[in-house]
Amino acid sequence: MREPPARRLAIAWLFLAPNFAGFLVFTAGPVVFSLWMAFTDWSLVRHNELSETPIRFIGFENFRRLLAGDESEFFWSAFYNTVYLMIGIPIGIAGSLLVALALNRPIGPRTFKRRGGAAALALVIGLVSGAGAWVVTHPGPAPSSAAEMEVVADLGITDADLETAWTLQRRKANATAGLFVMVGVVVALGLGTGVVFFRTLFYLPNLLAGVALFLLWKSLYKPSGGAINVAIDGPLNAVESLVSRTPPVLWHAFGMLVWLAGTVICLWLFVVAWRKWRDGDFTLGSIVGSSLAIFTLAAVALGIGYWTVQLPARALLPTGAEALGADELGAIRAALLDSEVELSPTDLEVAMAPFGDSARPEILIDAIAAVAPNGSDRARIESIVDEFTTPTFEGYAADGLDPPRWLVDETWAKPAIIIMGVWTAIGGANMLLYLAGLSNIPEELYEAASIDGAGPWRRFWNVTWPQLAPTTFFIVIMSTIGGLQGGFEQARAMTGGKYETETLTYYLYNLAFTDEFQLGLASAVAWVMFAMIFVMTVVNYRFGSRMVAE
Amino acid sequence: MTNATTTRMNAKAAAGRIALFVVLVGLSMSFLFPFLWQVAASLTTNADIDLVSRTFWPERIRWSNYLEVFDRVPLAKYFFNSVLIAGWVTILQVLTSAMAAYAFSRIEWPGREKVFLLYLATMMIPGAVLMTPNFAIVLKLGMYNSYSGLIIPAAFSAFGTFLLRQFMLTVPRSLDEAATLDGAGHWLTFWEVILPLTRPGLITLAIFAFIGNYSSFFWPLILIKDETLRTLPIGLLAFSDDYGTDIPLLMAASLLAMLPLVVLFVLLQKYLVRGIQLGAVKG
Repeated sequence: MREPPARRLAIAWLFLAPNFAGFLVFTAGPVVFSLWMAFTDWSLVRHNELSETPIRFIGFENFRRLLAGDESEFFWSAFYNTVYLMIGIPIGIAGSLLVALALNRPIGPRTFKRRGGAAALALVIGLVSGAGAWVVTHPGPAPSSAAEMEVVADLGITDADLETAWTLQRRKANATAGLFVMVGVVVALGLGTGVVFFRTLFYLPNLLAGVALFLLWKSLYKPSGGAINVAIDGPLNAVESLVSRTPPVLWHAFGMLVWLAGTVICLWLFVVAWRKWRDGDFTLGSIVGSSLAIFTLAAVALGIGYWTVQLPARALLPTGAEALGADELGAIRAALLDSEVELSPTDLEVAMAPFGDSARPEILIDAIAAVAPNGSDRARIESIVDEFTTPTFEGYAADGLDPPRWLVDETWAKPAIIIMGVWTAIGGANMLLYLAGLSNIPEELYEAASIDGAGPWRRFWNVTWPQLAPTTFFIVIMSTIGGLQGGFEQARAMTGGKYETETLTYYLYNLAFTDEFQLGLASAVAWVMFAMIFVMTVVNYRFGSRMVAE
Repeated sequence: MTNATTTRMNAKAAAGRIALFVVLVGLSMSFLFPFLWQVAASLTTNADIDLVSRTFWPERIRWSNYLEVFDRVPLAKYFFNSVLIAGWVTILQVLTSAMAAYAFSRIEWPGREKVFLLYLATMMIPGAVLMTPNFAIVLKLGMYNSYSGLIIPAAFSAFGTFLLRQFMLTVPRSLDEAATLDGAGHWLTFWEVILPLTRPGLITLAIFAFIGNYSSFFWPLILIKDETLRTLPIGLLAFSDDYGTDIPLLMAASLLAMLPLVVLFVLLQKYLVRGIQLGAVKG
């Protein structure tokens, strides 16, 4: 360029000016501002146009309150919820990789003509089988002739019941036919477009992720009559009937076995990782891979093990606990008075009096909790009553396994959000990044491996996985950063932050933007989050730097 | 290798491909089912919703839900607000980012690398850190509860600058030198040479900006008080809080809110995919 340097500098800054002004006011400035805020007691309730109290600089007080002071209970519980929700991340990444591997190569017929033919055929088969299914399942017109109605009346079926049954059958027939046609369409699109259709479809939830999608899932998760619980009702009933016909001890053994197997596999993975470390063979691929595998396996094994061990107990619960007798009631009374629950003896007498010398535990707990000074004592009361309650196997599986109550249940709300998150993430940006990574692997590497006699399994672990290591590394870092800040929208739209779904961002939102507008304390939360992200990224890079040697 | 083993291996590979295809079709159904349910649910009555969950088929198809939802909530207004805000943010973000990217990629000036590094460094800062101070700043500037409060802070993007710089670096130097020889100044070179040549990059950034702001949630949630200024996500949430038990109408509204994004995606798919792979730095 020919203009003098001073003029060039001026022109450059003219081009930069609009963006840089915004950058200073809304990005760089706020970072500094936020750091200052974190050390003040600024709250919009106390410091506004009406009250002229100066904002005080309070040093590390905000951080002390969060980490070890009066706010620590809420902070750490939000932290726990956030980390819990991050379980979905490795599962989602593994899913993305699998889907990317499946969609990496063209599927279906190669030539344009054949693709069209196969698609048309699939479509025709779908339509024909749909029509067939409709004819087979459709109940036809409801009985209406006098003779038919007489039979119906003899069977004791009312007109309304008849109408309901027939409508339901008709709708099921329509839906079954629709399902056949749908599968036909999906197969046709898959065969016709190669991988484009699948990639687009799997990406879709990721594109739509937001309040609208979360509200859709909230409706799907409806505890009674929601689509998900209707769908799992059948499998649950099957498990239930299996449980009711097996001695509980077998189920416990099975649960323990799953648990044990999971632990052994994890230990084995650790040993493999340690050996590699010792041999100086510890590459980025193996560290990310083994930690992902260990984490996922541990989560899955613990989950299944925990659930199976609980099964008999759950099946028992509705009627399983025997009524408490006079001895137990006396012991419970003594234990309660002895405990930290601050119940006055008279209140306790009043609460327990109606039961005489026999009581059902769950009703007793309700009665005592009603007179307890504060609600949080309920858990203690429960545990004390439980101590004296002996379960019996009489009412075994009487009421059966209830499907989870998902978003309105403290145990299941987080898993519900995780399941939705994995569903969304599988086909998202991570899949696209893996597809890009896969297309960059030189074909010669696979050829060389094949010549050496490597099967698909060996080819994956010795070629694909190490070659994808930088991609995986990047995805892991970005997902961890995203995960630590995530969960707000989901919780806000689906649970309102209740049922133990308040994440760190949600906590920050509550502090800063709801009742008290505590901007200082909220900024401190943000900086603690930043510190966590920073440490994690540094740790990741430390391990990542081994990549250079690889 | 004998012929028999080759045939066996081919058969095995074919079986593997078919199995893979079946798995993919099954997976596709799990991605379709929530949306199928949503369509079915949006066409029925609240009394019928549990039966729709069992049959995926409404008793009587009620298209009128899609009209009724506009009566129940100012959905058209929400749409207008969302598109207006996302549209303005997109235009401003692309323009300011392109200009800044030009300064970072086509002009030599002292301190360029340092300023660029500053931009890169702030991309590592989590969004949570910026929320509280930006809220205070917007309050101070008098932009609370207004369109400008939603548009102005989002109009500048370090990520966009970075993305467009990468695109501009791929344009050969000789082109702007030729333009200079023809007597074009920087502004003309920027408009007539660089921008047309980086069109894919501009479109990519525009899609990101539009989608991101169309479904943006946190910022409008804390900034907007008036019902008439609500964007779609906030409006939907309010609708769910107030009428959340009327699932058919809620599903109709959600479906309508999702539709523009699906259309946009189908039209501009190749840019979006390329952008995600190129500008992978976006969190």
